[in-house]
Amino acid sequence: MNGNDSHFDEMTGLFYLEGQLDAEHAHDTAQHLEECASCRALLRSLQREGDWLREALTTDDEMIPARLMAAPGRNMAQWVWFAAFGMMAGGAYTLWTGMVQPWYAQAQAAGFTQGNILTMLFFSGAFWKGWDAMRSLMEVMAAGTLGLLAAWLLRRRLRHFTAAAFVMTGLVLLLALPSTTGAAEVRHGNPSFTLAAGQTVNTDLIVTADRTEIDGDVNGDLIIFSESATVNGHVKGDILAFGRELTVNGPVDGNIRSANQSLTINGNVEKNVMGWADELLVAQKARVGGTISAFTGDAELDGRVGGDVLAYTRLMEINGMLGQNVSVTADRIKFGPQAVVDGQIKYTGRVEPDVAPGAKLASAPIVTIRRPGPNYARAGYYWGQIMRWGASFLFGLVVLLIAPVFFASVVKQGDRVGPAIGLGILFLFATPIAAFFASITIVGLGLGVTAFLLYLVALYSTQVFVGSWIGEKLLGLGSGIGPAIGRLALGLAILRGLMIVPFIGWMVTLATLIWGLGALALAFHRIMRSRAPMEALVAQ
Amino acid sequence: MDRQKATGAMSETELAQVLAQVRAGDADAWGELYRRYAPAMYRYCRRLLPAREDAEDATTEIFMKVRQKLGTYDSSRPFTAWLYKVASNHCWDTLRRRHIRQDLETGDVDELPLEHPDPSQLQRLEAEHTTKQVREALAKLPDRARAALVLRYFGDLSYEEIAETLGVRRQFVGVLLLRARHQLRDALGQSAVRSVAAGRKP
Repeated sequence: MNGNDSHFDEMTGLFYLEGQLDAEHAHDTAQHLEECASCRALLRSLQREGDWLREALTTDDEMIPARLMAAPGRNMAQWVWFAAFGMMAGGAYTLWTGMVQPWYAQAQAAGFTQGNILTMLFFSGAFWKGWDAMRSLMEVMAAGTLGLLAAWLLRRRLRHFTAAAFVMTGLVLLLALPSTTGAAEVRHGNPSFTLAAGQTVNTDLIVTADRTEIDGDVNGDLIIFSESATVNGHVKGDILAFGRELTVNGPVDGNIRSANQSLTINGNVEKNVMGWADELLVAQKARVGGTISAFTGDAELDGRVGGDVLAYTRLMEINGMLGQNVSVTADRIKFGPQAVVDGQIKYTGRVEPDVAPGAKLASAPIVTIRRPGPNYARAGYYWGQIMRWGASFLFGLVVLLIAPVFFASVVKQGDRVGPAIGLGILFLFATPIAAFFASITIVGLGLGVTAFLLYLVALYSTQVFVGSWIGEKLLGLGSGIGPAIGRLALGLAILRGLMIVPFIGWMVTLATLIWGLGALALAFHRIMRSRAPMEALVAQ
Repeated sequence: MDRQKATGAMSETELAQVLAQVRAGDADAWGELYRRYAPAMYRYCRRLLPAREDAEDATTEIFMKVRQKLGTYDSSRPFTAWLYKVASNHCWDTLRRRHIRQDLETGDVDELPLEHPDPSQLQRLEAEHTTKQVREALAKLPDRARAALVLRYFGDLSYEEIAETLGVRRQFVGVLLLRARHQLRDALGQSAVRSVAAGRKP
């Protein structure tokens, strides 16, 4: 092939073609080309290869994704940004006045300030009364926008969810450290644990056992993870309990906070009681100095309560002495003959309160009757639906403008109906369970709570993606931001319309949740870059 | 010229006007600029990055960068050249961040066959392959080889610019380009062989 020494090599040919040779070298090459057919041929081939590469690279025979064209300049709709900023300001204000300040006050009142910050954060957070005040749509939206903004600002870091989870867990641990590194005694039952009468634990006591019986005294907090637990001794701090049953017979100087199937209080509790339980009983001989916050199936208050009572329950029975206001949302409420309520009673429920003749109520209860199920004959119902459509539309708009590529990616994943539904079912049920189990261990608490909050946001956003998907099928893939918004609005309206149809509505809602969640999961997976395994799993 | 074709660019005066408006904060002008150049940018990113989603993300991110950096653009230079430079840097950063660059910085120059390739073989290769096959072969090349070809023959970047973007010496760019061409020829040759073996039309 290379017979003649003066032939130039391919590199020189390329440099010559691309004008990269110096003048002298180029001149020599040109001269050689005139007399050498072989090199001319090489040069021609290289030239052709270059042209052909250019052609192959630049030919625009490929579809430009519509979503890319739907995401032009960032201030195409400045008013949306104004709205978002307004809501963000509102959100910040709501969070401050509604959450931080009351928390601080509440924490002090509840004697939490010298206690465990972790406990305060999560328990006060979960039992926070302010959620009730946040019912205003705009406030929730504002808080949501704030969250979205935070997520957007952190998106580079959040790419690696595991990293985020570690950070959150670390943060939680950091918060927990100052107090948990303080003295605490940890006991494991084998399988049961008994603190005998006469014994005294001078620090906090943490017990994990099948059955727990505390007959002695605890000078710090008592934290119990136990299937059934009975506390007969004197607890000078708080009682925190998780399990099936908790019975408190002895005096407690602090608060009781429990997540149990049944919670029975027979003794004297100086401060507050907060309970998630199927059954809550404050017996006749019991006395609670502070407030009672109950999220229960059945709640029966036969004892004396010094503070307010706030309850979300199915059935509420009051047959004791309540010193302050009562606010109850329940199916039914009963005031027994021994009931004495000094404060105001607010009740929202399905049927009128049942007040026994002997009951002494300081003022007539303020009653709001809420019929089960939607009232189709009421105009307000439809207005409410329109408001909900508006809220979801606004939410969708913010997501669309903040993360157009992600938005479109999720909608696109909706096409993969099979994998989306499969994953959707998995995530719908598995996420809360996983979050719950993660939360049981202190290490996983941050992760669990984070995951659960994200889960709720994801559930809400499913309608936005499914709505957009429907809009896309009906209106086609027009490019530009206008059509994208139009698709969102129409799709959401159709979804909302379907959701209010009796019977079918439930199925539509469930399908939306599953399908949307699946599409979200698929889209997230793509973003997390670890494509290969999942793709292989769900392809076709 | 190729670049003009590829971007469907506006005339120079029109472009200058639009750029001035964008600098003044005109949202419509920005939208106009985006619509004109986004398709070309997307295709450019598509050639450089392995996955479609990456190219989509990169396109939006590049335009965000363009918007921030528009103040630094020297209007005496062609706008598209600047745009492609920004895009090249962004995509290469993306690739590098992902640590999937297979080839090493120094490169093995001795692997280069320095004898004449057979011109007829080259012609045959080009005649037999559709644009689509070339792109598929291109996607299989190591990142740096692919980037060198795309930057040069799509983005029309100068050797200096390519050297700067890919972080190699100026003298090494030619080697990189030639080696990339060889690798592409090999990839196409192989796929042709495989197509024949599979009994399909090459």
